[in-house]
Amino acid sequence: MSSLQQLAKFRAPSQLRMGGQLGRCPSCSFSPPGAVRASDLGRSTTEKAISPKLTCSAAAEKSGSFAFTRVVDTEGAARGPGTGPVRAQQMATGDASDPRIAGIAKSIRVIPDFPKPGILFQDITTLLLHTKAFRDTIDLFVERYQGKGISVVAGVEARGFIFGPPIALAIGAKFVPMRKPNKLPGPVIAEEYSLEYGTDKMEMHEGAVEAGEKVLVIDDLIATGGTLGAAIRLLGRVGAHVVECACVIELPELKGRDRLGDTPLFVLVSSA
Amino acid sequence: MSAYKDKDPRIHGIKARIRVVPDFPKPGIMFQDITTLLLDPSAFKDTIDLFVERYKGRNISVVAGVEARGFIFGPPIALAIGAKFVPLRKPGKLPGQVISEKYVLEYGSDCLQMHVGAVEPDDRALVVDDLVATGGTLCAAINLLERVGAQVVECTCVIELPDLKGRERLNGKPLYVLVESH
Repeated sequence: MSSLQQLAKFRAPSQLRMGGQLGRCPSCSFSPPGAVRASDLGRSTTEKAISPKLTCSAAAEKSGSFAFTRVVDTEGAARGPGTGPVRAQQMATGDASDPRIAGIAKSIRVIPDFPKPGILFQDITTLLLHTKAFRDTIDLFVERYQGKGISVVAGVEARGFIFGPPIALAIGAKFVPMRKPNKLPGPVIAEEYSLEYGTDKMEMHEGAVEAGEKVLVIDDLIATGGTLGAAIRLLGRVGAHVVECACVIELPELKGRDRLGDTPLFVLVSSA
Repeated sequence: MSAYKDKDPRIHGIKARIRVVPDFPKPGIMFQDITTLLLDPSAFKDTIDLFVERYKGRNISVVAGVEARGFIFGPPIALAIGAKFVPLRKPGKLPGQVISEKYVLEYGSDCLQMHVGAVEPDDRALVVDDLVATGGTLCAAINLLERVGAQVVECTCVIELPDLKGRERLNGKPLYVLVESH
């Protein structure tokens, strides 16, 4: 059963949709539909000098003006606008109530029907606009990983490049970019992985990581786990040990966690 | 202006860590590879520190980073100076409503996009990328930010290729780099 079919069984009444991000989409329309404010619907979609103010769900709850698709939870009860589209959940630390998590979860914007109909895209760019939430995100990872002998942070292109380097700098580790084919200029090793349709490839520079190094793999989100699985395999091939994968967001219904072999997964928020 | 000329002692180590890969992406090009800089934690830290020392306390509210290597240097700077980080991306990557700016390549054209609403008219912006060559990408970034009414304070890169005169193509905006490569 494809992931989309698995998700269809959670489908609720007509205007409510459930979906998940199925890994990296290889091509998208030039101007995909976005979550727009109701008051913007009358505007031309061509670029104007003054843009509507971007609001996260926290501000939208106050103003009531931001149009989100509501997310159905597994019990089938629709959440109202007051609870926001992303449920916060701490996973491996056992501390389920770090006060910073709620602010991080609220700052993530959900975009319906991107990259294609039925998908609810978890957009971390709004988190990056909230300086406290972004700082808290990095702090939570740094607190977990500092002093553990991790010498490499491997970040998956491109959103892993946003979260990985600040963590690497704070814990004194190297940063190693894991990239799409033909981006890295030097000799590379490559690992293929499955997409919903077809395959893609991930590359790492030869010599960047040495045998025996302890590695943390970072991406913004885990969906099916295909991308992270490829990163773990690539690092294993050079004899490194991936101590954990870390993401801001997990889509647990897609069971990516199960596809990481023995490698544990740590996430800040879970979107069900 | 470049820190190389100012001879900050950290610059030597940074320049030494940049690997030049000949004939990438095509014959005749000497590609400036910053991934080797990222493998030296203290040189990477020095790189960020040099930018942060320059931009802290100048009321910069936005750091705009150009995909993808601008995503490596921009966020650490943004976090340290208390600014928002705004990714500027190739078409079709940003999920929400976007504005787009076309720019010319050696053959053909490309396009840079920014989320609507990410940057506001009273924002003061810094544009970050790993390298400036012809200046086409940075110029597109400046245009995107100015179109939403923000003020671009400066563009900054680790590396400049001065022979390609990108500095002259930045709509009069100043450019600060750490190293030059001829």
